Amino acid sequence: MFSKEVEKLLLKVQKPGRYVGGELNEVIKNKNDVDVRFAFCFPDTYEVGMSHLGMKILYSQFNSVPYIWCERVFAPWIDMEEEMIKHKIPLYALESGDPVSDFDFIGFTLQYELSFTNMLNMLKLSNVPVKSCERRDLKQIVVAGGPCACNPEPIADFVDLFFIGEGEEVDLEVIELFRKCRNENKTKEEFLNLCAQIEGVYVPSLYDVSYNDDGTIKSFLPKNNAPAIIHKRIITDMDRSYYPDNFVVPLIEIVHDRAIQEIFRGCIRGCRFCQAGFIYRPVREKSPETINAQCKALCENTGYDEVSLSSLSSSDYSRIVPLLEKLNEWSRKEKVSISLPSLRVDGFVDEIMNKIKTVRKSGLTFAPEAGSQRMRDVINKNVKEDELISTCATAFEGGWTTVKLYFMIGLPTETLEDVAGIAKLGQTVVDTYYKCPNKPKGKSVRVTVSASSFVPKPFTPFQWEPQDTIPELHKKQQHIKENITTKKIQFNYHDADTSYLEAVFARGDRKLCKVLELACEKGFHFDGWNDCFSLDKWLEIFRECNIDPAFYANRRRSFDEILPWDHIDYGVTKEFLIKECKKAYEGATTMHCRLKCSNCGAAKYGEGVCFEKRKNMV
Amino acid sequence: MKNVRIWFKKDYECRYISHLDLNRCMLRALHKSKLPIWHTEGFNPHPFVTFPLPLSLGFRGTNECMDVKLEDDNYSYEEIITKLNNCLPKGLRVFNVTEPVMKAGEIAYADFTLKISYDKISSDKICSHLKDLFALKKIEIEKKSKKGIKIIDIKPGIKSYEVAENSGFAELNIILSAGSIDNINPNLIISALEKYFSESYYVDITRNKLYNSDMELFR
Repeated sequence: MFSKEVEKLLLKVQKPGRYVGGELNEVIKNKNDVDVRFAFCFPDTYEVGMSHLGMKILYSQFNSVPYIWCERVFAPWIDMEEEMIKHKIPLYALESGDPVSDFDFIGFTLQYELSFTNMLNMLKLSNVPVKSCERRDLKQIVVAGGPCACNPEPIADFVDLFFIGEGEEVDLEVIELFRKCRNENKTKEEFLNLCAQIEGVYVPSLYDVSYNDDGTIKSFLPKNNAPAIIHKRIITDMDRSYYPDNFVVPLIEIVHDRAIQEIFRGCIRGCRFCQAGFIYRPVREKSPETINAQCKALCENTGYDEVSLSSLSSSDYSRIVPLLEKLNEWSRKEKVSISLPSLRVDGFVDEIMNKIKTVRKSGLTFAPEAGSQRMRDVINKNVKEDELISTCATAFEGGWTTVKLYFMIGLPTETLEDVAGIAKLGQTVVDTYYKCPNKPKGKSVRVTVSASSFVPKPFTPFQWEPQDTIPELHKKQQHIKENITTKKIQFNYHDADTSYLEAVFARGDRKLCKVLELACEKGFHFDGWNDCFSLDKWLEIFRECNIDPAFYANRRRSFDEILPWDHIDYGVTKEFLIKECKKAYEGATTMHCRLKCSNCGAAKYGEGVCFEKRKNMV
Repeated sequence: MKNVRIWFKKDYECRYISHLDLNRCMLRALHKSKLPIWHTEGFNPHPFVTFPLPLSLGFRGTNECMDVKLEDDNYSYEEIITKLNNCLPKGLRVFNVTEPVMKAGEIAYADFTLKISYDKISSDKICSHLKDLFALKKIEIEKKSKKGIKIIDIKPGIKSYEVAENSGFAELNIILSAGSIDNINPNLIISALEKYFSESYYVDITRNKLYNSDMELFR
């Protein structure tokens, strides 16, 4: 719903369908019948936010509770933002059209560091004070979760409380506590103190940080009985955890315009650069029966004719073939296509390929991540070149002619020789095509090679590593370009400037809050979009705040330094990460969870892959 | 196999979606309804749907239609209406199903209601602007097309019109050439008004009915 004032703006902006709500399956309640109103904010555009699975799960789950009404809020694109400011229209929620400032909770999901400015800007557009200490009453409680909450420090001044880990249970516990506190006329401080006692809740205002002269952390101390270590929450039984049988179906085309079915959480692989591979441990699967039933319900309720099976490394699902068989029993008849977006090179077996191909032939994407075997061993991406090549050969014989290969540059210990390996591997894939006797007739091959810049992330074995400087990254990009000699390869690379800023905030501390505050004052937004991002403007702000961004991005930390996120526990121990980091330097690989347990620490949750029977256990 | 024409209204939130998005919404609703719609037989089978005359983003439509083929005859028109409405967002409402009488190509005119307002001048002033505009021998306006900008005279495309003053807005009821050959978008009338009187208006446009070249209702 939208107001008369908004109606007058809608035809002046691009894609007005972003700002109106009214979709099939949106949840409308009477605001007088509910106790708690929750504004679920996604700090990016409608099309991006509506594609996000976590939001769909929590939206449906919150709304399944009669006393909660959860509504959606997205960042208005720059044209709409300008109109809203000009006409003094505050940011509103799509379902009721009510201003965000009316809500009890204002929740953000933090998927990438460059959306921090959008989060602050959305508060500003709502006329809600940006700083937590300036919101004094028991309302407008700003909460946040998602992968970027694993290092909440750069936004500690703005968010009242963070949800650490998976939200399905802890979010509702906090909402229920809020309801109770309000009935008892408690203050915001009292409420936050009580929240801090809930496992998985981090209240940043309850901790004092002091720094050494060199800018590193000296101490991090809790007060008011807050726990010294905040442990993440996880869902232990995936078959019994909440999953929506219904999605809000957008009126306009969004990025992932299809039904999404989660098949498992976590990843067995342990690639050393990958934060998701560590923070979502241990691997917990849904049963094929559950997945099948949920898929069917989703398609029936939304009308989507495509379901994407979602997880990290989906071919690692232990019962993938029986699952696809079950899905194929009805999907073909119902004209529904199934896609598996996250396949590993070594998991792309004939059987899977044939089962997906029956419905729709999409492009093939593989992520070898590094060009040389040495480098792949360093990052523990246990993929061998001959595996990639034989997979590509299978695909070419099956009629595919386009392959996308994803790589990273700037990885620890990387040399120019490793980087040149990226171009070489692309060439080998091209050669493989022409060697295939059964390749599609009369068609040329197209290999897209994409190189993004490595950003060291918290809770990975590379959390102590410096990021390559921007000139170093440029040099490596150039080196790949020079080593590509065929037009059959299209080379793309990711802008090093944005990766640099991402690296600053990924491992930032509380001193960065003032940088973000100033950025918000100056109207920064949509830093994840090339239309808006300017590193020069950011560097100006860092200078104004007297902060050196290289301290965060390009500095090597020692193993005994207190890291800004050390008070948060994601299950994997620091000892394990140090061991993995040292093994990386030796180029030694670590076996994945199903082959051998590496004692990462995640077994303490008592669930998942840690307790599966290993086939080849000695 | 049976051809049917499905009549619907496009309003409220759904006013703001483009024709392509409308097409997607309809495909999903047809899929969800499980009605036996004939699918294309190509590599990606999808329900075969055609729209006799697409509606611009932002317009309300009170008599819109789309054509589909039904694979069997076992459904009453009432059933089709109910099933589809259960699967559509509330801004799209099916109200009738008929057997097509005319072909899409026969559409020659469309009738629109434009509610025009401008907070700086009164609605009777807008009415007199409109009358002045229509009194001109030629109404020339720049039209952007794929080939670039060209100047066109929209006067011959105006079949008839009626101007009425209303509280807060001027109401223009106008019949314009429509269809695949000479289509005049009513927004061009507003552009002309803005060009001749250097003002910028807020306008609410509804498409009411479609006609053939003999001004018979499109059926």
